[in-house]
Amino acid sequence: MSDPLLKVEGLDVLFTAYGQTRQVLRDISFTVGAGERVALIGETGSGKSVTAKAILGTLPRNATVSAGRIEVEGRNVLDLPRSARDALKGQAFSLIMQDPLSSFNPVFKIGSHLDDVLRYADRRAGVRASTSERRARIAAVLRRVQLADPERVMNAYPSELSGGMRQRVLIGLALLHQPKLLIADEPGTALDVTTQDEILNLINTLVAEEGMALLMITHNLGVVRKVADRVVVMRHGDIVETGPCTQILHAPAHDYTKGLLDAVPPLYGARVQTQELSEKPAIVSANALYKEFGRGARRFQAVRDVTVTLREGEIFGLAGESGSGKTTVARMMMGLARPTTGTVTVEGTPNPGRPLAQIVYQNPGTSLNPKRTVKQSLSLPLKRAGLAGAARDARLAELMGLVRLPVSYLAKYPHELSGGQKQRVAIARALAADPKVLILDEPTAALDVSVQKTVIELLLQLRAELGLTYFMISHDLSLMRNFCSRLAIMLRGEIVEEGPTPQVFAAPQHPYTRALIAAIPVVTDAEERLKPAVTPEERQAFLVTTTD
Amino acid sequence: MAQIKMALDGADKDLSAGYMMWYRFSRNPAAVIGTLIVLSAVICALLAPWITPRPQDVGAVVNFRARHLPPDAQHWFGTDKVGRDIFSRAIFGLRISLLLVIGVLGISVPIGTVLGLVAGYAGGWTERLITGLTNVMLAMPPLVMALAVSNLLQPTLMNAMIAITLLWWTWHARLIYAVSKSVASEDYIEAARIAGAGPLHILFREILPNCISVISVKTTLDAAFVILFGATLSFLGFGVKPPTPDLGSMVADGRQFMPDFWWEVLCPGAVILYVTLGFNLLGDGLRDMFDMEG
Repeated sequence: MSDPLLKVEGLDVLFTAYGQTRQVLRDISFTVGAGERVALIGETGSGKSVTAKAILGTLPRNATVSAGRIEVEGRNVLDLPRSARDALKGQAFSLIMQDPLSSFNPVFKIGSHLDDVLRYADRRAGVRASTSERRARIAAVLRRVQLADPERVMNAYPSELSGGMRQRVLIGLALLHQPKLLIADEPGTALDVTTQDEILNLINTLVAEEGMALLMITHNLGVVRKVADRVVVMRHGDIVETGPCTQILHAPAHDYTKGLLDAVPPLYGARVQTQELSEKPAIVSANALYKEFGRGARRFQAVRDVTVTLREGEIFGLAGESGSGKTTVARMMMGLARPTTGTVTVEGTPNPGRPLAQIVYQNPGTSLNPKRTVKQSLSLPLKRAGLAGAARDARLAELMGLVRLPVSYLAKYPHELSGGQKQRVAIARALAADPKVLILDEPTAALDVSVQKTVIELLLQLRAELGLTYFMISHDLSLMRNFCSRLAIMLRGEIVEEGPTPQVFAAPQHPYTRALIAAIPVVTDAEERLKPAVTPEERQAFLVTTTD
Repeated sequence: MAQIKMALDGADKDLSAGYMMWYRFSRNPAAVIGTLIVLSAVICALLAPWITPRPQDVGAVVNFRARHLPPDAQHWFGTDKVGRDIFSRAIFGLRISLLLVIGVLGISVPIGTVLGLVAGYAGGWTERLITGLTNVMLAMPPLVMALAVSNLLQPTLMNAMIAITLLWWTWHARLIYAVSKSVASEDYIEAARIAGAGPLHILFREILPNCISVISVKTTLDAAFVILFGATLSFLGFGVKPPTPDLGSMVADGRQFMPDFWWEVLCPGAVILYVTLGFNLLGDGLRDMFDMEG
């Protein structure tokens, strides 16, 4: 084989911050051949994005490449002058960025965005083209990414497009110049599973048709199975394992990779955990809830005719994609929002001073006040419960013990904690008031899989120890399969399916449930085969249209 | 981007927030210079009676033999029309200026902060009332307003202070309102409310700590403006009464002898510039230290 398209050899990258230098990448070596699909996988802080930035030449100013070579078609790009390096972008390789909204300037139309990119690329290449010629080329590219009405897309502002459409435009942007290598940084991660699934299918199709090579950066092992031939596993700036996709996923050699795979909640198969159904009486029941937002012509129904019962001791899961109204339902059931019509009944008499429910939020980074220590955050509900002095200190220590954190962490500020530790503190705060119910609003969505696993285990232990009831809101069905005892699926404000979790997954009744389950990226081929079959018509009927 | 930030966050974990802020501050020459200037001005003002060569010149002293002397070794800033040492008077003038800063900001910053916090968190009618009042006050030209107030009352330091204070809280109220409103929508505020926190706890324990950086930067930058504003009022004759040395009125006094006795305007003017610059540099330095945008 001649020179591979991209060859990274012994790459070391240092970051200097606050007078200290840290090595972020250590001896990174891998290759991407022409037409090959390679995935860089790793958790937060593994250095996968830094690697991509080093290849693109967009490292921040405080980063230095201290050793190694990055060869593109045999030429070391690190030796090239700035202008020659810039010229590679868009021609040798293109980048698909992670966040489809913040990648666009909101005041420019999509068309002028694409036109700018094309005009500067043309100028670099010494090509002269008229505006109408460029417009024709842009329309062609937009059609390539399955945006059926290029004119309308070009005349739209970024905010007028859905997340999936914006992601498609970003892909189109990367395709403007037929690059040989496409670098994709977590594409579709911010989108719903069904949209993400479509985006991955699109990337796969394009890579195959255009004969491009793909470097996919992701933390999701399911995504890897879908789009990669070869996998590079990274951890703390080192490569721990490299190999063909099937080998990495089915017979990993390194313990870290094994742990990573083990942490992914399985959708089907022997490893699936099933939570037992609760036979106890209901704690909260909601009857025919409706919720409307807005007034007059802009009024819309966020929730329509939702009737659910939360039984004591169960883990009830409310699944749905963004905008389906699941959070609104949870808030109404816990008395945090008023339904427009319908009733919420709380069974039994709640103890005075003991709230019925507390919430654990999705993002521990924003649910803890950055200016208050763990102790201050936890003391608030205790003060409310009338605890003071030694009794409060004892309870604080007890809470820290419950969430398996050392008592010394009480003095820390949130920014001194990792994401998982922050979420533990948030759980401790929710437990401090001694509630009966915890509302879990996507409690692990912002965490890495391995951290997610420990947090979920902690939640299960706490439920057993304290006899808690959980009401979980999430879009992560594979997690819910293992964590929830009963499941309801919401679509556009309505519950379309409800039942014991194993039953919902074994025989999904509603086509939307089938489409949702089918879109989940899974790790093994065996699971892929067990997914329910979905016809293209069914998909089209329930997906947010991204191609109109 | 997010990934790199996270990698960095991980690297910073064992550095305390205080160390990182000090690092940013101490590596910023402008911030260090600003601190030194402000410190020197404060020390001079505090020790004025002991470090000035002629503290007796501060009062209504007349020494016509020494009038209009140019700067020399004895009189660093020269002398004025009645023979008083301008350097000594300028140092005492600094005292007045800093007193004005303490008085004005000491009253207007707490008022503005509390009103801003309440407006941002409470919403509804309270919000509309406070922001409405703030906007009405902001619509008045500050100098005209201050002149009107000092005209109604006697032109004294106290009244100048009142005049400036009446205007100054609005800027703080507006700024803190914006911060408070954005903080109030954070998850941790709702979490605190669900945990049973009362409005006072939320305002002063949860929201206020997140405003401290903004308040300290704004207050420092404001100190410079208050000094300038006070000097302007004195220059126009609405500030401190004549025998008391004030930088603004010293400039006004010297104005009639320009350009022959230039030092009588330029030297007090330079002191105003010096201390204002110091506060501005310090404010910018603090802003960089807190890593704020804009």
